[in-house]
Amino acid sequence: MNGMSLTDGQHEKGRAAGHERETIIELRNVDYTYQAGSPFAAAALHDVNLKIQRGTLIGIAGGTGCGKSTLLQLLNGLLLPTGGSVRVLDHTLLPGMKKLRLNALRRRVGLSFQFPEQHLFEDTVEKDLMFGPLNFGFTREEARTKAAEALRSMGLGDELLNRHPLSLSGGQMRKVAIATVLAAGPEVLMLDEPTATLDSAARRELIALLARLCREEGRTILMVTHRIEELLEAADEWVVMNEGRIVFQGDADELVDRTNELREWGLAVPEQLRCWEEWTARLPQLAALPLPRTPEAMARVIAEAVRGSAGAPDAVRVSAPESIHRSAPAPGSESPSEAVNEARSGEWEHDLCATN
Amino acid sequence: MERECTAAVELRGIDFAYEQEQAVLREINLHVDRGEWVAIVGESGCGKSTLVRLLNALLTPQAGQVLLFGEELTVHNAPLLRSRIGMVFQNPDNQFIGESVEEDIAFGLEGLCLERGEMERRIASYAQLLDITSLLHKHPGELSGGQKQRCAVAACLAMEPEIVVFDESTSMQDERSRRELLDMMDHMRRQGKYTIFSVTHDADEMLAADRILALKDGRVRGDRSPAAFFADEALLRDCGITLPFRLKLEQELNLLGIATEDVAGGAARKRKHPSNHATAERGQRT
Repeated sequence: MNGMSLTDGQHEKGRAAGHERETIIELRNVDYTYQAGSPFAAAALHDVNLKIQRGTLIGIAGGTGCGKSTLLQLLNGLLLPTGGSVRVLDHTLLPGMKKLRLNALRRRVGLSFQFPEQHLFEDTVEKDLMFGPLNFGFTREEARTKAAEALRSMGLGDELLNRHPLSLSGGQMRKVAIATVLAAGPEVLMLDEPTATLDSAARRELIALLARLCREEGRTILMVTHRIEELLEAADEWVVMNEGRIVFQGDADELVDRTNELREWGLAVPEQLRCWEEWTARLPQLAALPLPRTPEAMARVIAEAVRGSAGAPDAVRVSAPESIHRSAPAPGSESPSEAVNEARSGEWEHDLCATN
Repeated sequence: MERECTAAVELRGIDFAYEQEQAVLREINLHVDRGEWVAIVGESGCGKSTLVRLLNALLTPQAGQVLLFGEELTVHNAPLLRSRIGMVFQNPDNQFIGESVEEDIAFGLEGLCLERGEMERRIASYAQLLDITSLLHKHPGELSGGQKQRCAVAACLAMEPEIVVFDESTSMQDERSRRELLDMMDHMRRQGKYTIFSVTHDADEMLAADRILALKDGRVRGDRSPAAFFADEALLRDCGITLPFRLKLEQELNLLGIATEDVAGGAARKRKHPSNHATAERGQRT
């Protein structure tokens, strides 16, 4: 696949708030080896080429240890390439260069680490949130305002400002860590598995926030995730990595066409696609249609197809595709052991029919 | 001496607060039989991780009792009872001590005063189970997040605990590792010798459990089977859980007049079905 071809719709999505599509990140033949030159050298990236344009939301996926986190750390100068060149905004990072004057780059390119504790070192949440803005030259009052705004944007209340960061729960800590990056207002926001320890409602809220920052403010977002399905609707582009190489670059439609390879790369086939494949096996007329991204859209398309084939009696009676849930227990069997035993011993029904 | 007791864990009237802060847990009562798998769910900060830290006396409640295998957990018996509980934390960095993965696994085994041969056997066996044999001589710092988590699970299981607490252990895993870990947890349940607590936001993990204990603001908001839990929209909302795509699709189809009559089966059936064996095994043992 050559570069990042976009569909018209995605061009529109990415061209938020009148921002021109300027290439702001470019990697050319980038290699990275940990402990290069030592007996413990471990290559993490091989010959990586990548272009990312301003104002796009990029999903980065790949199995454990494939080099995703290394890639992000090259983009704000935490790591320097051991081969090739990395250009980010107006900074170029080359092998062996001295890491001088990277503060300006890091102000514009924020990175939220995989483990939130790595962001939190002060004795209150507020101080942690103010650290970035103060470091980047904002006044104390401005930094305090930015801290509170960032915390609220993550759905957390001001009452946490005076808490010790390490007294927070895992999910709260994760949100505060992301807020510390948001507080500095970076142009490019990189998040390394930000949804990993969040509940599903908080995951959706975070992705909605990222999409808003991208569409309304023109920020560029790079998000590493193991769960393609959670970002399938929002991402403009996808980068898939495997064993230190970029094995796919393209949009969501192209990605979902590569089902078999996703499995080989250690990735989950998005749940949307699994459902769609199961329904397509029962209703072949669906195969010609594009993948609906939301459950609402998919239900509408399936309903039309079911009704369309309902001319003859019983014609619409189809086997329900595999489902991951069981029916609710009968009233009165609410106690866990009863409900579980009932579900375990019960027969599983697979029939599905259209009703009028 | 251990009494004949089917309960692995009982919590009676537990209240807990961190210093100078408002209560994190309030009036928690819970009875978990040996061999059960309980998923603990709820929004960030609702007390999930605090609850499981009470089980091995990492935290001590201000009120109430924690009973393990029928015996009240106290400062005197905590060291002994603790050896019967393994914990796998949210962040694997929190439990790495050794300079290599092998040393790290050995650290816990040394604490159990095992003979060298037995230590080596367990390290090899659990490394193979978790597919980390090639990582044994690596420094934890060289590992990715998912690899670290697998090593942490191996270090825990090598101590052969009777109760295993997984505190969001699947959250940092890639899909292949996540499914492998879920399958392993299911395998552990089928063996019938482990009681499992898993703090999780993962819908598949919830569906694989026997029970879902839902917390809201430090109180038990629900204690249901997975099926009953996912059928209760108010409860899901209170726990910050949105319906997985597949369940939402079925709900939407129902709204459009496509009735799913007791739609069931598939992945859950495959995963749940073996638990019949676990129930049977437990029935024989108790």
